[in-house]
Amino acid sequence: MLFTRTKLSDRQERAVQKTLHNLRQQRRNRFRILACIDGTEESFITVTFAARLAVNDECDIIVLYVRPIDQALWSGGLQLRIARQNMMESGFELPGVRDLKRSLEILKEEGIDVESWPQEASHQDAWGDPAGDTKVEYRSPKGRSVVLKLKTAPDAAHGILDQYELGPYNLMVLGEPSRWRSEFKAWFGTGVVQEVVTHASCSVLVARPSLDKEGFFICTDGSSRSMQAVRRAAVLAHMQGASITLFSVAPDEASRPAAEEAVANAKALLKAMKITVTDTRTAVGDTVDEIIETGSSYRIIVVTDEGRSRLQRIFKGSKASDVVRGARTSVLDVR
Amino acid sequence: MTQAAASFSLPRDSLQAHEPSQRLTRFQRRGYQRYLLVRQNIDLNFFWTRRWFFIALLVGFLLMIAPTPSGLTEEGQIVLAMSVVATILFVTEAVPLPTVPLLIIIGQVVLLKVDPTKVAQSLMTDSVLFIMGSLMLAVAIVKQRLDKRIAWAIVQMTGTNVYWISFGITAVCGAIAAFIGEHTVAAMMLPVGVTLITLTSQDPKKVRNLAAVILFSIAYGCSIAGVATPSGGARNAIIISYWKDLFYDPLDPETRRYLMDYLTWSIYAFPMFLIRLPIVAALLVYTFKPETTDMSRAVSRLRTQVIMDGPLKPSGWLTILIFCLTIFGWIFLSEQLGLGVIALLGVSAFLVLGLVRWEDINAGVNWGVVLLYAAAISLGVEMTDTGAADWVAKSFLDVLQNVGAGSGLGFNTAISLLTIGVSNTMTAGAAVAVLGPIVLNTAHVAGQDPIIVGFITAISSAFGYLTPAAQPAFTIIYASGYLKGRDFFTIGSRMMIVSVIILLALASLYWPFIAR
Repeated sequence: MLFTRTKLSDRQERAVQKTLHNLRQQRRNRFRILACIDGTEESFITVTFAARLAVNDECDIIVLYVRPIDQALWSGGLQLRIARQNMMESGFELPGVRDLKRSLEILKEEGIDVESWPQEASHQDAWGDPAGDTKVEYRSPKGRSVVLKLKTAPDAAHGILDQYELGPYNLMVLGEPSRWRSEFKAWFGTGVVQEVVTHASCSVLVARPSLDKEGFFICTDGSSRSMQAVRRAAVLAHMQGASITLFSVAPDEASRPAAEEAVANAKALLKAMKITVTDTRTAVGDTVDEIIETGSSYRIIVVTDEGRSRLQRIFKGSKASDVVRGARTSVLDVR
Repeated sequence: MTQAAASFSLPRDSLQAHEPSQRLTRFQRRGYQRYLLVRQNIDLNFFWTRRWFFIALLVGFLLMIAPTPSGLTEEGQIVLAMSVVATILFVTEAVPLPTVPLLIIIGQVVLLKVDPTKVAQSLMTDSVLFIMGSLMLAVAIVKQRLDKRIAWAIVQMTGTNVYWISFGITAVCGAIAAFIGEHTVAAMMLPVGVTLITLTSQDPKKVRNLAAVILFSIAYGCSIAGVATPSGGARNAIIISYWKDLFYDPLDPETRRYLMDYLTWSIYAFPMFLIRLPIVAALLVYTFKPETTDMSRAVSRLRTQVIMDGPLKPSGWLTILIFCLTIFGWIFLSEQLGLGVIALLGVSAFLVLGLVRWEDINAGVNWGVVLLYAAAISLGVEMTDTGAADWVAKSFLDVLQNVGAGSGLGFNTAISLLTIGVSNTMTAGAAVAVLGPIVLNTAHVAGQDPIIVGFITAISSAFGYLTPAAQPAFTIIYASGYLKGRDFFTIGSRMMIVSVIILLALASLYWPFIAR
């Protein structure tokens, strides 16, 4: 057969699939946070955020560094790939290894010390690059795991999205975007953060230096979708012991009662879950501006992703994306 | 963590890990990544920047597999295809120019099945030695920094009036460029020209026209004199080489006239320089009206600088002596020793006396150019040997006869215009190397004198006056930043018309009477 994907017998294939299914089920029972770093000083804040959000032993932290594939052709006649191979054989570290080690130190400062945990390393070929994908997993006796992953991909954004498929993850933590283009221009290439935020299947936290602030600033518009998001974000805040502020924006004064009702509903929902709400607020004006303005004094703004496709975004835009782009504090985009 | 919090499970109650997006998105993404990978590994821009190289190869391939026209051998067809490819590469400069001669050499061995040793031997002729030696000599002379003294000498003869200074610069630059490469003289004299301009006024806008007069005097002085003697430019040596290779037969004393010596060439071509000299000065002053006519301020400053340099050192005198001896040798000994060997003698003398270091010569000589002319001449000879040049000549002559330019003045005009057209698209040396065998064979077939036609080709190739890139000397003065591109066209178009008229007049009225 030309298109068979496996040479295994049916029985073996079933066994493999079952193993995979079990592995995924196991992972579904964990709260997995993917922290992406790129080696810049600012990007390490994602590791700190991951450590703070991973409050108990149900949480795993995966630190990911995506390394672009070595270019082969234009390097003064010498193939960089050959040079890389020689360097690796001589025991030189790949770019990214040092940064991943540094993230372990940050985790240690945050109280997650993996030094005594048993570790397991694995390596996979990827994209024909000699370095491939390298993974080191530290697993605590209580079943908690911290993974350092050095991944090779043609570009960083798609490397992160590929990693999700190996996951899945409950939350991705990314650094501050350096470049953010309009939805139309983003079709023709954009920054890593925008690309990942647009395409990710799970919730994304865009981390900015807001660790000195306090509280979750959860926004709602009263729709059932946003109520779901409020519920899930509130659980995360509650587990962290963080204060919760509920917020809704009315486009004009006439709609203010609707906004107040949305906040009241959300508060009632959380009360039923025995989660305390510290404060509720409403405002009148442009949704995005008001959220950015009022939320900037909180540690994390929580917005609900509209779940629009790229094409829909071009015509309808995405308020969640606009908040992620413009906020002066960290933003959690819940999906 | 509070007691209530214990009832929650983060994986269950908090943010959800949704199933990865559908197959299609993943498929698209993997495809996009593969595309990125290919784009990284295959630099498509490379194909774009080198597009003319691939187009040239394709054209060559199509010409080679095309049915052979009647009267042309298969080898001739291959040589013609190679010439066309070389011409495309010369014009587009898709690859560094010295690459072209390397490809020509490879083509001769691989496509024409010529013995490699024979190809290697055909590369080095006396003409190529002569070109190489001239380039080396030029470096040795420029290294002596005689430019300010030459300028001072000019001013002493002409006085401080702009018109006379312009004429003096043209004359002196021409007198030097007649014997060594024109671009060398332009490079040597440019600092002097700029010095004179800046000493007159620091503001370029105030002396724009004056700058044009002075700088064009340098460029045109070099350009009109480049044809005067065989050592004035590579194109002259190439034509001399073709005459010998194509028409000289040791067994036939009649063909001795095709062994062109230094003096005979000068007798033919020097008038071309002398007649145009006053015309250039007049044209320049007429075209660009200088802002000021008195340059006494600049001259007095120049004099100060020359006096500060002290008297001419022995090395300067020695340089002048060796240079004069070399010219003397070219004029009187080229029959016995060949032009190339005399040039090498001069260079050796400079090196032995320590007037120039080998490192300077090595850095100053464009070896790629030497290789270029060597391979181009070799290919030209191959064109004749395979009968390709003959076939093209016959076809070209048919065309000429159809338009009534099969002989005499019409024929000369056609050859001149063809050469001007080609040399405005590529360097003059390459143009002559490509056209030489064709026009000389055409002349032979048409019953015209190959000597006269050769002179017309060599001299016409120096008429690329329209753009700053047309001649090395122009490129050099354009680099000073005082001139605009359209200045070259303004004066160049007038100069071209005048030059063609004078050339055709010489070909009809003067050369037939001095022919040996």
